[in-house]
Amino acid sequence: MTAVVLTLTVVVALLAVLVAGLLRSHATILARLHELDGGPAGTPAFRTAPGIPAPERSAPVLLDDPAPVRRAPDVVGTTPDGEAVVVRTSGDAGTVLLFLSSGCATCRAFWDELAAPAGITLPPGARLLVVTKGPEQESVSAVAELASPTAEVVLSTRAWADYAVPGSPYVVAVDGPTGRVVGEGTGGSWSQVARLLAQATGDLAYLPGTTRRAGKPAADVDREARADRELMAAGIFPGDDSLYRDPATAPVDDAVVYR
Amino acid sequence: MRTPLSAHGISIGLPADFEGRISLRGRPGRPGTVRSVTGRGAAAAVTEPVAPEPLAPGERHYPVSHVANFPLPPDRGDFGCGAVDRMTGSHCLIALVEYGPECVGTALFAPAGMPTPAVSAFGPDTLQHRISGQLGYQRFFTVSGRPFCLYVVLGGARNAAALVGRVRSVLAATTVAAA
Repeated sequence: MTAVVLTLTVVVALLAVLVAGLLRSHATILARLHELDGGPAGTPAFRTAPGIPAPERSAPVLLDDPAPVRRAPDVVGTTPDGEAVVVRTSGDAGTVLLFLSSGCATCRAFWDELAAPAGITLPPGARLLVVTKGPEQESVSAVAELASPTAEVVLSTRAWADYAVPGSPYVVAVDGPTGRVVGEGTGGSWSQVARLLAQATGDLAYLPGTTRRAGKPAADVDREARADRELMAAGIFPGDDSLYRDPATAPVDDAVVYR
Repeated sequence: MRTPLSAHGISIGLPADFEGRISLRGRPGRPGTVRSVTGRGAAAAVTEPVAPEPLAPGERHYPVSHVANFPLPPDRGDFGCGAVDRMTGSHCLIALVEYGPECVGTALFAPAGMPTPAVSAFGPDTLQHRISGQLGYQRFFTVSGRPFCLYVVLGGARNAAALVGRVRSVLAATTVAAA
């Protein structure tokens, strides 16, 4: 009999502790909700009973909305044959836009390299599009003469304006899945431009002889894809400054707030 | 937001993930230049520049429009030869091929207005170039006094319902001016 009474006493004591814990947790939740919406109209401010210390309050942390991502514009124009075209720059694979003109001496090296495209390597699936200014500012017949039959050429003054091209030759790399410009610049030949693109995008497939890359274990690929998804969902895209900043010297404003 | 593509009296409002081309049939290096396809895949498509055939007096080229949700190769046949080989299950290709005015009023081109394809109207037997898994659709019609053939290829039967919805959306945003 004594043993039963002792056991019941212990059980009741444990239940009392449990109920007290639940009540405290409930009070904390109510306090948090009150902080969020202020409670129903006429509700007094949240306070604890006299003698009980108030829970720590933290002002809501307002985070800036991630900057909207501007998708690289499509190229709208005509081909040297007079075909009206709209070329999509984003999609499953990337697009490299090579802005050339018929009269520029430096561009001649690119036109010649395009005529023998064996030396031009791109990441798998990527597309190379040569863009000259439109027929109102460019000689269509000269472009037709320079353009290799295998090169995809579009005459579009609008594309030069859309991509703010400062002059020719100029190259812009667009990442297909995100539609973002991931690299741009100029060079005297495709080999120079390829090195630039490889540095800007981190993709060695732009460099000759590197198209065969070592395969990665499936787990690495999955992990990489998940990290990319989560970063992009948080508004951090390839090339974001925050990815290259030293955490030790990052401004306080950049500190991550954990709740 | 749609990107407008217009030429030869044909205007197409392209959805964000579509691209398109409108050209004249038979131009050198353009549609009609794919001489032969020896197998599946881009590498198997053998393309050769074809000298333009001389036009007879009064003869003219007519436009062909290609719209797709994948990169269109520069060299394509009127009915997508050279492009359909590159399609995956989530891709679709729309070809709008115009014919000469002598076809207006014939029984083949009697239906009036742009067709609105239904999923049930697609089948492998309609494909010009049969590829496993793909479905095709073909209709002849006249709109604005101009005779056309609409040819659509879906990359995969599994996505047929969704792809047909995309195709209908493109066709709804397509207008043809009178000849």
